[in-house]
Formats: sequence, C-alpha cells, structure tokens
Amino acid sequence: MATNSALAGQATAPESHAGHGSDAGHVVLRPADVKTTLIASTTAGARGFKRWSIVLGVLTIVGIAGIVLKAVQSLDDQTEWGYTAAIAAFLLTVGGGAPLVAVAPVLAKANWVRPLTRLSAAFSLMGVVTIAIMVPLVAVLPPLVTEGARRRSIWFESPDLTPHVMIFLAMGTLLLAGLGLFYTSAMPDFAAMRDHSTGWRRNVGKSLARGWVGSTVQWRTLRMRIGMFGTFYFLVLIYTHFVFTSDFAMGVVPGWRDAIFPMYHSMSSIQAGVAVTIIAAWAARRYLGLQDYLRLDQFWSLGRLLFATSLLWVYFFFSAFIVFWYGRSLADIAWVDMFIRGPMIWAFIPGMFMSFLLPWWWLIWNRVRTSVNGPTIGAVIVLFGLLLDRMRIYVSAWSVPPEQIHERYLHTIPDTVWPDTFDYMIIVGALSAAALVMLLIFRVIPIVSIWQTQEYQLLSKPVKYLRGHGVLVAKPD
Amino acid sequence: MADRSILGLFQEAEPAADAMDGLAQAGFEAGTFDVLTGTPYPEGAFGEHVPQHRLFRFPAFGAIIGFTTAILLTAGTQIAFPMVTGGKPILSLFAMIIIVYEMTMLSAVIATVIGIIFESRLPNMNPGAYDERITEGWIGVVISVESTRAQEAESVLKTAGALEIKHAS
Repeated sequence: MATNSALAGQATAPESHAGHGSDAGHVVLRPADVKTTLIASTTAGARGFKRWSIVLGVLTIVGIAGIVLKAVQSLDDQTEWGYTAAIAAFLLTVGGGAPLVAVAPVLAKANWVRPLTRLSAAFSLMGVVTIAIMVPLVAVLPPLVTEGARRRSIWFESPDLTPHVMIFLAMGTLLLAGLGLFYTSAMPDFAAMRDHSTGWRRNVGKSLARGWVGSTVQWRTLRMRIGMFGTFYFLVLIYTHFVFTSDFAMGVVPGWRDAIFPMYHSMSSIQAGVAVTIIAAWAARRYLGLQDYLRLDQFWSLGRLLFATSLLWVYFFFSAFIVFWYGRSLADIAWVDMFIRGPMIWAFIPGMFMSFLLPWWWLIWNRVRTSVNGPTIGAVIVLFGLLLDRMRIYVSAWSVPPEQIHERYLHTIPDTVWPDTFDYMIIVGALSAAALVMLLIFRVIPIVSIWQTQEYQLLSKPVKYLRGHGVLVAKPD
Repeated sequence: MADRSILGLFQEAEPAADAMDGLAQAGFEAGTFDVLTGTPYPEGAFGEHVPQHRLFRFPAFGAIIGFTTAILLTAGTQIAFPMVTGGKPILSLFAMIIIVYEMTMLSAVIATVIGIIFESRLPNMNPGAYDERITEGWIGVVISVESTRAQEAESVLKTAGALEIKHAS
C-alpha cells in the first residue's frame, strides 16, 4: 500500500484558509457516527419533505396536463413543441452530465469526491423524466421520408423511423448504465440500511442489498463494477448527445451541418452536471445538517471544475461559431441569422453571459472559489444560462416550418416563438418531476455514501507538519 | 464438507489480521475463511485470500455479441433493400457505425449487469454467520468449517482477540 502526503492541498482544504471557519481542515468521524448520521438524513425534515413532495407532485401533474393539452391541440404541428424539446434537452444536459462527477475523479482516485458520488450518480435517474418527455417529441418528429423524399439526417439508408427508435434506445442505455452505476455503488449502504434502519426502509435495504455482507470478493468486484459502469456511462452519454443533437436540432433545420455542435452539447452537459451537483450539495448541507460531510473541500474542488468547464463552453461555442461566421455561404449566413442574431437573441445574450462571462468573472476570484456559497452562486448562474442556451437552440430549430425540410438552407428565418401557457406548464412540470425523483431517492438511501465516507476516514489521518497541519492520505494500489 | 459457519467479531483491524494469520497457520484451507468489513480495506490488508475473477469477460462477450448482431442487422438490411445514397457503396461502414456502436454498448451494459449477478455471488442466499455491527465499523472473520474442526477454529479466533463468536449452520 503506497501512501502520499496531502499536506496543504489537494485532499483536504488546509486550515490556513482563515475565514472559512470550521469548514477547513479534517474532521475525524467514528464509523458508527457516520452510519447513524447518514441514515438519519433519510428521515430528517419529514414535515418539509412532505410539503415539498406535495408541491412538486402537484406541479408534475400540471406538467403532465400541459403535455396532454398541447398534444390534443397541436400534435400535428412541430413548431409548437420547441420549448418541450428545449426542456428535454436541458434535463438530458443536467441529469446526463452530473454522474460524470462521480466517475472521472473516482477513476483518478481523488478523495474529495467521495461524499459527492452518491449525489451525482443519482442524477442519472432523472433520465426517467427525460424519456417520458421524449414521447410526444418523437411522435411529432417527421419520419426520414417526408413528402416523398428522404430528408437529410445521419441515418442514410436506415428505415423510416430509425431516429424515433434510436433515441429511446440511446436514452434507455444511458439510464441503464446510470442505474447500474448508482445501484452497484449503493449496495453496501443498502446493507447498512438493512442492518440499522427501521420500518419500510429496512425492508427496502434488505431487498436491495441482495445478501451483501462485505466479503473480500464483494468489495473487489464492487470496485471493478463502479469502474466499468462509469466507463460505459461516459461512452453512452457522448453517443446520446450525438444522436439527440443530430435528430432533434440539426436534423430539423435545413442546411445546418456542424461537427462541433454534438461535442459542444456534451461538454455543456458536463458543465451543467458540475453545477447541479454543487447546488444539490449545498441544499443537502443546508437542510440535512451534513456540514461535517459536505465541506469546503468539496465546494472548492467543484468550483474549480465549474470554472474550467465554463471556459470550455466558450471554446466550443466559438469553434462552431467562427466556421459559420467566416463561411459566409447562404447556409452559414442563415445559421447566424437563425441562432445568434435572430428570433432568439433575447435568449442568446443572457445565455452567453450566464453560461460563460458571469461564471468566469465570478469564479476567477480565489475568495469566491474557496467558499461554500461562492461556487453555489456560480452554479445557479450557469444553470440558468444553460436553460436559456437550450431554448435558443431548440426553440429556434423547432420553429422551422416542416415544409422547408428539403431546402438546401433556410430561406426564411422564422419569427420569435414565445412560450404559451402549456409551455410554461410543461417547463415547470418537467423541472418539478426531476426534483421529485431526486427527493424520493434520498428518502430511501443516504445522500452521502456511508461506505465511501468511512473509507476516507480509514485512509486519512490528520498530522502535524513542521508548524502547520495537514492530512496524510493513503492511496491503495 | 463444511457445515458450520463461525464468525469472530473484532473492533480493531490488527487482531482481525492476526486471526486470519492464525487460521492459515492452523491449516485451514485458503478460501474457507474470509474477512467481512463495512468499509473496503486495501486489498491484502488482512492477508486474505484474493480469488480470481472473470468480471471482464462478461462485458467483452456482450460487446462482441452486440457488435456482431449489429453488423448482421445493418448489412442484412442494406443487402435486402439495396439503395445507393450519394454514390456511396451499398455496404457503407460509416452509415452502419452509429447503430453498431449503440448495440455494442447496450449489449456490453446488459452483460455487465448479468456478470454482477454471477461474479458477486449475489443474491447471497446463504450468507453464513453475520453481525449487523459489521456495517458500523466492526470487523468479522468468518470461516466455513466441518463440525469436527469447529472447536479449533473458534479457539484460534478467541486467541487472536475476538470479542464475540457467532455460529450459523
């Protein structure tokens, strides 16, 4: 077993960062206390949970009603579904990207990420809501052969409804990989629920722990499974973004051909995933009393990632934009008129500010990054920015009349489409349904992984170094 | 044939490791005794027997099956309904890649899930002796043993410092 010193740095925020109070430094937690506190977090705030569940449940029903009413009114009119496509894209962006926070740092053996892995992996289960919203979108999406001719797509000779089937297959695979990642890493904690919780939680723990006892072979295969599902998840996520952007954005706009756009979409998904993990961690810390588990170190590290991904946002955006701007072909000019200075400029400008400029300016300051609230504010800004960005892209794309589908480029730029009552209902309902899924998950299993927290406690030790303090962290081979 | 499961409970890791050494020295076969923990200790920390696994075979076989099926499906479709697009050959690999990739990944993921069930020995229908305190930091050393050697195994566990001994058949 090799050991490395994490003095003054990476693994734990050094004490010398005055002003962050008890958030800095290392807290020694006994395994029994970790177990008790984290299991108790599933029952904490019962009244608040009930109230929020009811509110979110009602809003989810409102969203379902919005979809049904919109379907009754305009299932044959693609241009009416832009905001629904935007919110589906936003949920894929947020819920799809978050689990990578549980994958990439873990594969790199980072210690700060341990309390966040459960939280971020759980976001993959938001895929249930995304898939549900995709149903009316797929019903509206034109087949490959429309009006007697084959429209431009990535599917070449494939059967007529290939994009309709493949998007469900892609999203289903992503959900399965996410579920595998979440469940396998949660198995030891289900065993802890089986052993130490009460009532229905005990029964759920018993069923889902599947006889887990913590033997050598079980721990060994658990580590490998997390690595495998993490790798699969990343590979499928990129593919899903590729299929989604190709069929639900580029495929419905004549003349839009952009090799960078799918990657831009995937990258902004990672940015959104980091942002939503920060916000959820802040909420868990604030409302579930998990200050000893979700500490400055986690927010500091995520703040750095958010800063880096915000810079990547502008890199990918500009890489795509410059091709169209310099291209000056009729198709290129139409793209700039459509997506930049066109009908959704009201979403483009604030979206650009909030996805890149504001978070960049905000997170560049050390004092902001080395705090709990600073990265959280940055994360809220980023999420709003990305919601506006998805509206810019998908509302514009879906506002193109279907009769133009066979044109070589967009001859007429559609007018601005503003959300109607049903759109508001769908947006609010979709976001509420996603939040409700998360809320329900964390009533069953602790939001912070018990075994990963205990493992960090096992492998770390506060030490005095010269006149300072640090944490010695063992990294098993 | 082993018909008894004996669990020694320890509060500290050091005596648990001593118990594992003691069982090996007493001649109990590797693989018949194991350490149970609520936290993953580094591999080999207790001197435990680390069995070989075949976990990587499952996704590999799944991916091969998915890949082959997808090639057959896409090639078969294009041969059955030949249609020249953009002057490209009927069997254009780039057009097939999208479907092939998806089916390969889907099969690999499903095979991995199946692999978990086999390789993790889950669901564990007969877990043997167990104690709930293991998930709150205690360490268990469990041995499957014949009745004739049960006394000897128990003695080794006690000598190493087991705070409690539990039995299961």
